[in-house]
Amino acid sequence: MSDLAIRTVNLTKRYSGLWSKQAVEAVKNLNLEVYRGEIFGFLGPNGAGKTTTIKVLLGIIYPTEGEAYVLGQPAGDPKNHYKISYLPENPYFYDYMTGREILTFYAKLFGIPEPERSKRVNELLDRVGLLRAADQTLRTYSKGMLQRIGLAQCLINDPELLILDEPTAGLDPIAHIDIRDTILELRNQGKTLFISSHQLSDVERVCDRVAILNKGVMVQLGRIEELLAGGHVEVIADKVPDNALEPIRQLGGKVSLHDGRLIVEQPDNGSVDRVIDIVRAAGGHIVSVKPYRRSLEDLFVETIQGGTSA
Amino acid sequence: MNATLAIAGATFGEAVRKRILLVILLVALLIILISPAFEPFAGGRGARTLILGFGFGVVQLAGTFIAIILCTAMIPLEIERRTIYTILSKPVQRYQFVLGKFLGAVGTLGFVYLMMGLVLLIASRLALGEFDPKIIGGLVMFFFQSSLLAAVALFFSTFVSPLVNYFLSGGVFLLGNLLSSFLESIQRNPEVTPLTRIPVQLLTIILPNFASFNVQNPIINPEQVLTDPTAYTVQTIAYGVVYIALLLIASMLIFNQREM
Repeated sequence: MSDLAIRTVNLTKRYSGLWSKQAVEAVKNLNLEVYRGEIFGFLGPNGAGKTTTIKVLLGIIYPTEGEAYVLGQPAGDPKNHYKISYLPENPYFYDYMTGREILTFYAKLFGIPEPERSKRVNELLDRVGLLRAADQTLRTYSKGMLQRIGLAQCLINDPELLILDEPTAGLDPIAHIDIRDTILELRNQGKTLFISSHQLSDVERVCDRVAILNKGVMVQLGRIEELLAGGHVEVIADKVPDNALEPIRQLGGKVSLHDGRLIVEQPDNGSVDRVIDIVRAAGGHIVSVKPYRRSLEDLFVETIQGGTSA
Repeated sequence: MNATLAIAGATFGEAVRKRILLVILLVALLIILISPAFEPFAGGRGARTLILGFGFGVVQLAGTFIAIILCTAMIPLEIERRTIYTILSKPVQRYQFVLGKFLGAVGTLGFVYLMMGLVLLIASRLALGEFDPKIIGGLVMFFFQSSLLAAVALFFSTFVSPLVNYFLSGGVFLLGNLLSSFLESIQRNPEVTPLTRIPVQLLTIILPNFASFNVQNPIINPEQVLTDPTAYTVQTIAYGVVYIALLLIASMLIFNQREM
């Protein structure tokens, strides 16, 4: 068994209009490897090619060039779909159905027989907190409830790989936390999660690795902690005599004075200790020591605006 | 097969809740039910002609509208609402999806015809004092006519927008009802050149012959007799089934290549 849940090789998707000769390349030579058991964040601005890639992985559209494999099989093989699941962005379901009926419908698509079907539907309704609303029609559900029923339909087949497109978009904070917790719980169960999202704080919190796509090209790929390395620690000190400033400057950090307070930005913890030692030895007072971690949002903005490439 | 039936069930469930469909059905049922009241205006044609002529006319019209409304937007709507993505990401083959949608539409038409048929039978029994089993035969033929139209509309819905589909399906239905009589009349006319006759002949072969399902005249007028009604019915239904199968295969092939 391959240790890759998703693999694309030079995947390219080009859209061409019926009358127009100019083709639009939604995805260009994408080489992606997603390992089994990880949470992978698939990021990019609108129109970057994320949904196109997901559609290729699901077999809803076909690649123009290159190859795509899901759980070791060519993408789109319906037999493979027993092991995967998908939550689209802003999912819409047959809204005349109740929560229970829609889950039963999806269970039937997997051929899950009774009484296993009813048992699984009830368990999932309970798991996503919709047991009490199970017999309400979906048109009476809030956005958060629909997202939760969407997640429940994703779990009906106990999948190995979950592809989630904007799973927390537009949710209130409680529903947001619920979905995030469920994602982490699924990872703990050994499932692979491929998440496309604009909620960068969520991605930063739950994902192991991320890829950033821009205009169809992958421009960043790596583990979160590696990509976000390069933060700094800010030391604020008071009553520091002038003769202590030079040795602090020699440590290489950014030194400034503001309202009589010394502000030092050091790139690593080792030099921070030395700054503190110098300040104390000179009779100054340490007011605060604050680490500033580079956020995924910083990386995302730098990458997209700066045109950084992987 | 499970997946196909599940999709058919969902399609049926959604269709029978469509307000426009229920309004058409309700109006049709009401017209059939009150048709005996128009007997004084029949002008010597007799109650049978009025009630059955009126009844079959309403049944055919309602069946046609419902088949078109139901199937023209069938695939585009699933794509627009993105319901199709969660379905095709499950172990569902595209042909199962098309087949399920069609079976759901046919199930809905069956339900609609059952309702209209029952009311027509009740109205004819009350007004004419008799129960004519030929009425059921006529209803079955109209049901197959509507099912064929549903297959035409579903076929177009795999590659054109609902608005274009309304005109295409409507046009095919109209031509399919008129072409065979038109061909007969030009074949009888020696002045018609082959340049006119051959295209009409070709179109008559290619387009579904909806007119062959219109068997209301021998039922309404007992003087008009079909030489072998059973053979005619079986042949016509077999023609309908084969044509539906061909349309479904074509729909599946097109939908299989379709990108959404």
